[in-house]
Parts: sequence; structure tokens; C-alpha cells
Amino acid sequence: MKPLLSRRHFLRGLGVTVALPFLESVAPLRALGAAPKAKYGLTHDGKPLRMAFLYVPNGVNVAKWAPVGQGADYQLSETMAPLAGLKEHFQVLSGFEHRLGWAHGDGGGDHARANATILTGARPKKTAGSDIRLGVSVDQLAAQHVGEQTRFSSLELSCDGVRKSGACDSGYSCAYQFNVSWRSETAPISPESNPRLVFERLFGSGQGAERQKSFLLRQARQKSILDFVMEDARTLNRELGRNDQHKVEEYLTGVREIEQRIQKAERFGPLPDPKSEVPAGIPAEYQEHIRLMMDTLVLAFQTDSTRISSFMLAHDGSNRSFREIGVNDGHHNLSHHQNNPEVLAKIAQIDLFYSQQLAYFLQRLRDTKEGDRSLLDNSMVVYCSGLSDGDRHAHDNLPVILAGRGGGVLKPGSHVNVGDKTPMTNLYVRMLNIMGVKTDRFGDSTGVLAV
Amino acid sequence: MSFFLPILILPRRSAFAILLASAMLPASGFAAAEKISDFKKDILPVLEDYCYDCHGEGTKKGGFALDGFPSQEAQLGDIEHWYTIWKNLQSQLMPPSDEAQPKVEERQRLLGWIEQAVFKLDPANPDPGRVTIRRLNRAEYENSIFDLLGVKFDADDAFPADDTGYGFDTIGDVLTISPLLMEKYIEAAQDIVNQAVAEAGPRIPTLYVGGDRLKVGEEKKKNARWLPFADPATATGAQRIEHPGRYKITVVMKAEGSKDATSHTAKVGLSVAGRAVESMKVGWEFRKEIKLVGETDLVKGDNVFALDVSPGDPPRGGEKQLNLNVTHLLLQGPLDGRHLEYPKQYFRVFPDGPPTEDATARSAYARKILRLLADRAFRRPVDESTLNRLVALAETTAKQPGMNFESGIGQALTAVLAAPRFLFRAETQPEPNNAGRIVAIDEFALASRLSYFLWSSLPDDELLKLAGEGKLRASLRAQVDRLLADPRSKRFVSNFVGQWLQTRDVEGINVDVTRFLGVKNDEAYRIFNPRLREAIRAETESLFSHLLADNRSALELLTADYTFLNEQLATFYGIPDVKGTEMRKVSLPAESPRRGGVLTHASTLIVTSNPTRTSPVKRGLFILENILGTPAPPAPPNVPELEETRKRGKNLTMREMMVVHRENALCASCHARMDPLGLALENFTPLGTFRDNERGKPIDTTGQLITGEKFSSVAELSQVLATSRRDDFFRCLTEKLLIFAIGRGLEYYDTVTVDQLAKKLHDDNGAMRSAIYAIVESAPFQKRRGDGPHVATSADNESLRSAVTTR
Repeated sequence: MKPLLSRRHFLRGLGVTVALPFLESVAPLRALGAAPKAKYGLTHDGKPLRMAFLYVPNGVNVAKWAPVGQGADYQLSETMAPLAGLKEHFQVLSGFEHRLGWAHGDGGGDHARANATILTGARPKKTAGSDIRLGVSVDQLAAQHVGEQTRFSSLELSCDGVRKSGACDSGYSCAYQFNVSWRSETAPISPESNPRLVFERLFGSGQGAERQKSFLLRQARQKSILDFVMEDARTLNRELGRNDQHKVEEYLTGVREIEQRIQKAERFGPLPDPKSEVPAGIPAEYQEHIRLMMDTLVLAFQTDSTRISSFMLAHDGSNRSFREIGVNDGHHNLSHHQNNPEVLAKIAQIDLFYSQQLAYFLQRLRDTKEGDRSLLDNSMVVYCSGLSDGDRHAHDNLPVILAGRGGGVLKPGSHVNVGDKTPMTNLYVRMLNIMGVKTDRFGDSTGVLAV
Repeated sequence: MSFFLPILILPRRSAFAILLASAMLPASGFAAAEKISDFKKDILPVLEDYCYDCHGEGTKKGGFALDGFPSQEAQLGDIEHWYTIWKNLQSQLMPPSDEAQPKVEERQRLLGWIEQAVFKLDPANPDPGRVTIRRLNRAEYENSIFDLLGVKFDADDAFPADDTGYGFDTIGDVLTISPLLMEKYIEAAQDIVNQAVAEAGPRIPTLYVGGDRLKVGEEKKKNARWLPFADPATATGAQRIEHPGRYKITVVMKAEGSKDATSHTAKVGLSVAGRAVESMKVGWEFRKEIKLVGETDLVKGDNVFALDVSPGDPPRGGEKQLNLNVTHLLLQGPLDGRHLEYPKQYFRVFPDGPPTEDATARSAYARKILRLLADRAFRRPVDESTLNRLVALAETTAKQPGMNFESGIGQALTAVLAAPRFLFRAETQPEPNNAGRIVAIDEFALASRLSYFLWSSLPDDELLKLAGEGKLRASLRAQVDRLLADPRSKRFVSNFVGQWLQTRDVEGINVDVTRFLGVKNDEAYRIFNPRLREAIRAETESLFSHLLADNRSALELLTADYTFLNEQLATFYGIPDVKGTEMRKVSLPAESPRRGGVLTHASTLIVTSNPTRTSPVKRGLFILENILGTPAPPAPPNVPELEETRKRGKNLTMREMMVVHRENALCASCHARMDPLGLALENFTPLGTFRDNERGKPIDTTGQLITGEKFSSVAELSQVLATSRRDDFFRCLTEKLLIFAIGRGLEYYDTVTVDQLAKKLHDDNGAMRSAIYAIVESAPFQKRRGDGPHVATSADNESLRSAVTTR
């Protein structure tokens, strides 16, 4: 274990400090080797605790989204109908705002800002490329603490594989619009969209014993390569300017993670067996695609391969059409509905489609047992959009569902009005606390949400 | 004031004016304050006359005021403020065309003053800026691997999408490396090396027969690269065999036509000399390659191979039709091992063949191999200590159980491919954090800039050799010509045009085809399928290639009276007499000039439409952004995009609907700029097909640019853009090329460079190759400076500049 430690020193010696938020402590940089004493990512009785964020773009049909009444006796809205059988497992939270999603003098670009703020609560610096700057996202902050416990510190997923060429939203770099997870202020994490690749990354490729063998062989061979590339990075870094060094730091962070992965592999023993077929790839139908990703995510949680995930079903501003449900127009295009009832009806159809996918995910989690509880009981799943009314590009009254019991500390089953313009990040502070991350602030938070 | 007098008689380009002006000054005297127009005396009065009605003395239209600063110093120090003014003046967006306009001289005076007094730019010594170290994007990675090792790697499949900035995926600042990507780089390196350094030793030789050698039908126009599942066909071809015997035959194919799974299948059978060898059912496969493997005896001399395709299960409703692409056949034999060879691939890594037994010689050989590979992969001579570590890595690995010389080299090569010096294009310089220190990049860095610009890949041996001898700068144009003549320059066209004019999006974009063709699913697919999309993309890119190859004017991108078509695309456009699958230049009928120039290419028309209808706003914006280079300011926050603010009146044409929302004054100011441009293209559906009416009403394509020019059709609009707005177009093209080439966005201090480049293009009447020369000869391409904000140039840099230019 010694070489690793010295390499870590080398990292520090270089003046390599990845930008981390204020509460960054020694936790993620703890020397590896002995399994760290777990204090993060656990339920009160010591079971793994998971956190997932599901993002849907372009807001919702607000009228059809809003549930009727409050508290435990509320009625699900039309859009939430697919969730009827799961009512006791989630709470609807109304009233959240992402204050920094509004323009604040930065002009247009609400889709980029919706996407950028959703998990960060930070203001994206308006730039088409140079000097992108946002903030670390809640999932990544949690992963920096919890990640140590699992093979993968987090999983970032999306169903958007292909990106539009040309400029993105109104002068914002596409980085803001295609990523929800940011590991630092300047480093977004591109999500993976191919279920096969996600699966193979988690569980190795090949079959049975061969899977384990090829995995170990590959890892063994990677070690000496990491030594070489570390040295190469060091040589290179000496000659570079500040911004360039920053990029090489990103590289080193990546290398360090692989080292940890190899370390962890030794610690965690054989690869988990997902007892499941490798997905063939990206399926034709959007719904199938989403569900394959969800299946893989459930497997990842179930095998405790990771406890943190973000899943951007589509990026904000996505103009995907939904032929499967008879909506041929583009989603973004429709979201500017001008209160046209026909168009609003189509948006509601899309919202319903997304609710069905959420229901599928929650059912899968609920039906997966973990001791005397379910995976869903030991999870916190946030389902949200960065806009409420897509037509007005409104960043308040966001549609948000929080599912799961968080190991028993959450009380699902009701509709809670959290109060107009409550920062969504207040919820994140609460979730972080539940994950064991001691902080009283995150992004633009003003307190801790009591849920 | 007398200093500025010459400007009065000069054309409107400010830099040209300043160039002349500064040429009359001693270089050192440039920055002296007394030589620059006086703000209070020469500048402020002009602003007061033309701008203050809306942007001063209490009015703050668009949230922008020219006054109200605590001090003049604060005002003159606000570069962003003045950059906004500069951009609006430069593109003549301000003052608005319906307001009193400053005289040409006044506009020049303002622009020149801003560049000198505020930006503190020296046109004779432009700030090259600084490019952030660039990670290879997916295309560059794929090409670099292929050119280095001959291995085809699908980076789009393996790596997450690259982030883009300023419309391109070459921007250093946004090309990040996440831990996920790092992991994938290491995995990719291992996979690639496994392919490149296959097991050691002589092997049973394998013969490669391209799929296009198996022809279909009497006329033999078609071949096995394109065999629709639905059409029974037999593709045949002969191959000469030197060593007769038993052979293993592998037919390597792909099922194409749908990114998504379908249930469409076909049966494929292989026979040799009339004897059936093997057959199989093929369908959609995610793992792109399908292999049909069989064994048979081959005779000395010609052997005739035949592939038979017959339909299987049809696609289900909504699913796409597939076709078989037989990429190649591999003939491995004779299997009895009487005749063995080293594979060609082997020599790519091991140039002198297998190693000898002698330990010293082996070590020297390992060194030689790794130096060759690392030099090319790192794009500059590898230093000895790195080489030592690579050799040590190879030797340590080779000693491990089950390993040999080759696997040792493989391990070292894996390290090279995962190393930052391969994955990043680093350019080093002394004093990297001193923004005032400008240096010419070294010739190896220049070689990389050239090859990644024009080939999207690493430099070849000739570039590296010239750089090593210090002769590259001296033969720059010759090298540009050589690079452009090489087939690898296709990558430049497809990557640059693919993003500039968004032709990349054509292949994947969502369009409601059945609606616009008015036919059922299957029929729609027969017409508008991936082959057609490919041709649509190729049309635009072929035009660009043609202009580049023949050094024709970029203006032909707008006004060409010809285009590039194959039979399928010509049929789609309704242009007769084009036969076959090859794209070729076709003159357009003079009597009905419906097409001509990129504005009428289906690629442009498709990528600027919504799935279910045209979008004059998107089309107008496309022209503003990509042709005129004057993007509209973004829609004000919280106001829905104008296009959607229509009242859903019954049976309104697009134009009528646009009028409805232009009635809103807040919106009108911007939409008066984009809508007329987009409406000029209303004769084309979201698929790019022609129509002369919409909802039974004739289509009106008349309009006017914000700068006043009138047009009545898309052809006239293209003409206007290519004549009275040609300098805007030149500037726009220049900017796009520069961003793509240097990998960063443009800053205010680039204005002098862009002015100069645009002027060169103007003087050469838009000659495409001149544009490329100008880019590679420009300061930002040739030089770099330390990190930090722009600083006024110093005497030190003066001397450096002369040192560089006299090289």
C-alpha cells in the first residue's frame, strides 16, 4: 500500500488540489488500504443507503402535475396516476425553487440553467466554452464521502447519447446542458448512455469464471501502466501554465480513482454476479432504453456496487419526439405551449410517460428485498425537472418527488408544501446529512428541509 | 486628429485602417496616449449623437447604458462594456437601421479608438492568446489510433460524448477528463494494443478480400457492401490463391439501416466454386460485426466466391429496413500450416520482424520499437528518461510467466496510449504564467496544430521530419497543400462543416417523414433512409471539398449554380438524369433555380426544422449565426421563444403566424432580423423537399435584411449575402475556421487578427485555400503567450516578433 500513499503525497506536492467545496474534509483523501471505518452512506442500523436523482427535461404541464390537497390524505394528480400503487413510498414536495436558474442579468438560456442548477444550486458562468464554472453537484459531494464504501463511487447515466452540433442554449457551453453531475466547479461528468457499457463496467464482460479472470488480469496489467502515466503527467505538469495544469489535474484525479478501484477490487473480493444477461445495447424504444438503464441501476444498488447515481433521462431543451405514445412533435417545441389546450394535452402525455418510468423504477426497488426491508426503503430517490412551466421557463414551484424511506428517517406517503420559493438545495442538505455528510449548507441553500 | 485623417478615405474595415495608420508610426510610439483619439473630444460626441437617445442620460434600452460610470477611468477600463459596443458597431447592428447612422468615418473612428485605447491592441503585433491544453476528442482519438497503428477503434461507441463550446468539439477548455473517461481510456488502450500486437510468431496467412469486390448482377454496378435484406441477390467475385489447400473463410458483415433494434432478418449463404459452404440467418446486432465462418478447399488460381442473400422475417410496424454491408472476407489458410507468414500488422509495430534470441540485441530492438511508437504517439521526440521507463516496463513484463517480447512491447505501448502526452496535445513554453510573454510555438507543436486542423489526427513522418529539422515554418504552404491533397483531409471537411453547418446532425435528426412525404411508413423509409441521409450530408460536404480542392471562392457556398448529387438524392430533389450511387457534381437547371448554395441544401433545411414543421426562427438564426456571424441576442429570459407565441389561428401560413408574434414590440426588434431570413426558405419542407404552397396558399418569400437589402426569393437572398454582405460572411467563415483550428473561443483581443484574416479573404475574393493559408499563418495559430488576461505588448515582444518573422 505504500506506493499509493507516496503517490498521494506526490499529488499534493504538485500543488494539485481539485477544487472541492468548503466542507471538503480529509475523508475522500483518506489513505487507502485498510477498509475505512464506515460512517457514510449507511442507514441508522448499518445497511447501505442509496441516493438517486432522476431528471426529466422541459418542465411539466403544471395543472396536471399538481396533486390535490396536502398531507397524507392528498389525491394524486392525473400525471401521477401510474404511481398510485406506490403512494406510501414517496412524497410529493411542492414549492421548491432554483433561484440561480433565473437570469440574474445573464439573459436567455433557461434550459441550460435549469439543467445546470438542478443538482448544484450554483450559478453557471455564462460562457460558450472558456472558463466553464458551476459548482459541485449534490450526488458528487455525497460520492466524495460515501464512494469509498463501494466499487464505484457513483454512476452517471443518461439516455442522450448523441449531441446536437453547433452552439447550445443562448451562449452557454453545452457542458451545462448535457451534464447534471459535476465533480468540481469546472469538471462536469459526462453520463453514459449505452446500457451494455454500463453493465460491463459494473460487472465485467464475458461469462462466469472468465468474467472474473479477465477482470483481474486487466486490473493487474493496469497497475504498471498507472505508474508510468503518473510519472508522465508529473513531467508534463512541470512545464505547463495554470489552466493546463488544471486539465492534467483532472487526468490525475481519474488515474487516482482507477488506483482506488484496483485497491477496492482487492478489498471487495470477486466481482458481484448480477445473475443477469448483458444488455444488448441501446434499444429502439425510448421506454426500453430508460428501463434497461433503470434495471442496471437497480442491479448496481442491489449488489452494492455503488450507492450514488444521477440519471438524466434527457437533457433540458431536448426536442425528442415520442412516437411511441403518438406524440410526433418535439418535446421542447411543445413545452412552449402558450396555453394551447391541444399542446398542453400532449405535454401531459409526455409527463405521464415519464411518471410510468418512475413507477417502474420504484417498483423494481420496492420489489427487491434487503433483509426485512426493501431496496426502496433504504434509498432516497429524487425525481425532478429543472423547470415547472416550460412555457414561461419558470424555475420555481418545481415538480419534485422524493421516494424511499432513507433507511427509515423519511416519512413518505404525503404531499408536502415546503413553502414558496424554498431552495431545492435545502432538501439536498437534508439528504446529505442523512448520508452522513455533516454540513449545514449546500449551493444556495438557506437551511435544512425538515422532511 | 491629423493622425486619423487617412481613415476618411478608406473602406470600412477598421483593422485595415489601423494597419496603415500604425505603419506610419514608430512601433514604440504606438501606445502613447496623445496619438490616440481623445475620448472627450473625438469619441463622446459621436456616442451622444447616435447612441444616447436609447443608451444614455437616463434611458437604458435593453438594460444597456453608455454613461453612468463613477469615473471616466472606470468607463474606459471596462473591456466587456466596450466589447459589446464594438461588436454592435462592427456588425452595423447598432444604431438600428431605422435610426440615424454615423458616417463611415465616425464608425471607423469609434472602432479604431476602442481597439487601441480600450483594448490596447497593436495590429502589427496581435495577441495570439493562449490555447488550453487540448484533450483529443473522439474523432481525433479514433483517427490518431488508426494512423498510428492501423487499428480501427470506434470511439463514439466506447467513450461518452465530448462537450462542445463555441459550436465545436475542439475546444480545450470544455474537453474535460472525468474518472469514467480515464477508465475508458485505459480499457481502450488495452483493447487497441490487443489488436495491434496480436500473439507473436508466424501464422497461417490471412487474405483480405474487400466486400466491394463481390459484384451483383449483370451490370455489376452494385456490390456486397449494400445488399438490402428485402431484395434477393447474389454477389460474386473471384480471388487468386497461391497456396492451395483447406481454408477457413470468414465473411465479415454489418446489418445497417437502423440504430435501433428491428426484427428484420435475412438469410446469407456462402458458396465457393458453386459448392455451398455455410449459411446463417442475420438480423440487427448491437455488436456491429456479424461473422459467417466456414471451411472449404481452395484451388491454386482463381476461386469464385458467391454470397447469396434472401429475405427472412420482415420488419414490424415502425421498424426500419435493414441492409447487409459485407465489409470483407478473410481467407485463412492453408490450414495445414505448410505455409506460414507474419501478419502485416505485426510489422507495423515490429518493423524488423521477430526479435532475435540475443539479449542485448533484443533490448536494443525494444528501444528502437518504443522510440518509433512514442515519437509518433507523443508527436515529438520522446525524451530519454521516458524511453528508459518504457523499455524497462516492456522488459519487466516480458519476464513474467506466460509473457514474451511482444507482450512486453504491448504493455509499454498500452502505457503510451494511456499517457497524458498522447491524450493531450500539450504545448509548452517558457514562463507559462507570464501573459506578457509571447512565443512562437515550436515546430513539433506546429506540426500537430496543422495535422489536427486538417486531418483531425497526429502528424505523419514527413511533418515530424520537417519539424525535427526546423524547416516546417519555412514550407508551411506546401505542407498545407500536401495535407489537403491527402484523403485524410476529408476528416477536416466532415468535422468542420459537420459542426459549422451542422451536417453531422442530419444522420440522427428526428423528422416526421411520413407527414411531409405523404406516404406510409414503409414507403417513407424506402425514400428517406440512412442512405439518403448520408447523401444529404455528403452534398454539403462535397461542395466544401470541391471549393477547397480547386481553390474556388467561398462565396460559391452561397451561390453555386451546381451541386453534388447521386441518383437517390437527385430523385428526392426532383432533378432528372442522375444515375448511380456515386456523388458527383451536377449543374442545376438554369430556368428554375430552386437549388444552389447551402441555404437550399436539404442538410441545412432539415437541421433547422422542428420534427413536425419548418422553423423560420431557427432557419433565420442559422443564417445569422453561421453565414452573417451576427447571432441575435438570446430571447429575453422568461419570454417564450417567439415562434411559439402564435395564436393558434385556423389555417394560417407560417408567415401569417410569424406576423402575429412580431406585433409584440419587445420581440420585434430581434425577430425583424431573423424571421425574414427564415421565411425566405419557406419553399422547403422540414425534409428539404420543394413546395410552392402551404395549406393551399402560395408561399411568399420576400423580405429584407436588417441592414436594408431586399430580396424576393432564397436565390436572391443568397445573392445578397454573397454580394453586399460578403464581408460579413468572410468574417464569419474566418471566425469559425479560427475557432475550430486553434481550439478556443475568440476574445476581444482577437479582433485585429480576425480583421486581418477577413481582409485577406476579401482581397482574394474568398479563395478557400487562401483562407486556410491565412489561418495557419495567423498569430493565434503560430504563437502562444503565457496564461492570464491580455496585457499591452511590450518591447520584449517586439524583438521576439521580428525574430520569429525573419525565420
